[in-house]
Amino acid sequence: MERAMADQLEALHPDAFGWALHCCAGEHGRAEDVLQNAYLKLARERARHDGRSSFKTWWFGVIRFTAHEEFRRLRYRESLLGRLLLQLTGDAHDPRPSPAGKMELDERRAELRRCLAQLPARQAEVLHLVFYQDLTLNEAAGVMRVSIGSVRQHYERGKARLRTLLQPAPCHEPQV
Amino acid sequence: MNPKSDDDLIAIFAHARRWDRGDAPAWRAELVDRPVLRSRPVLRWALVTASVVAIFLTLMPRHEQPLTEALPPLLDSPPGELFASVEPALLSFEAPSDFLLTSQLNRSIP
Repeated sequence: MERAMADQLEALHPDAFGWALHCCAGEHGRAEDVLQNAYLKLARERARHDGRSSFKTWWFGVIRFTAHEEFRRLRYRESLLGRLLLQLTGDAHDPRPSPAGKMELDERRAELRRCLAQLPARQAEVLHLVFYQDLTLNEAAGVMRVSIGSVRQHYERGKARLRTLLQPAPCHEPQV
Repeated sequence: MNPKSDDDLIAIFAHARRWDRGDAPAWRAELVDRPVLRSRPVLRWALVTASVVAIFLTLMPRHEQPLTEALPPLLDSPPGELFASVEPALLSFEAPSDFLLTSQLNRSIP
């Protein structure tokens, strides 16, 4: 692999992990697997940057696609046939975060993740790409492979819904 | 996008980003520096040629030998007297019940 590309990947690594984490609904272990598989795709030249979009946009698209592949694999494993095969092979996979990982989760971050999980996937994605990754709406559209108009709609609706979800629930004091 | 109105969301996401960066696994250059496993063109062509030859040899019509040449000469025997190995006493043997047989059937072995 070219040195320049390796340098770009290294610079993007923390943000790429953050994006993988979002694509994997906050599951740390799965996000690591997804990112590693995405790196493997580059090393084996199964994914190539053709220069039509920025490197970051393209790379985040690769990670998103890899996460979807991983999700499909996981869904299959959780299906009836998959469970049967797992019992036969004895290869178990626990998608839940470890207790240590749970303890490390910051409350505000956990709340944001919980609220994002309640949004439609597209809305959550565009909010993450814009606010977390500092991408423009155009770049977010490139990563998500949807039109700019669609992204703008998801963005506006997502923001409004997220604000509602982040508001603390009103306390109901007992009447005297 | 109005940045002022989005300050609350920006702050929340920035906070999450700081935490996630702390949790991110360390960068490992060897992840992307693995040698690319490419099959060499010469090897690929050799494999294709071998496959074609194998298919040709399998499907090629064979020159079949005539049956008389292909079979071993099991039935060949030197010319000589028939039943030469049988004892003469056995050939002239007559059983006591031979008279019961009709004359047509009462044949002696030559």
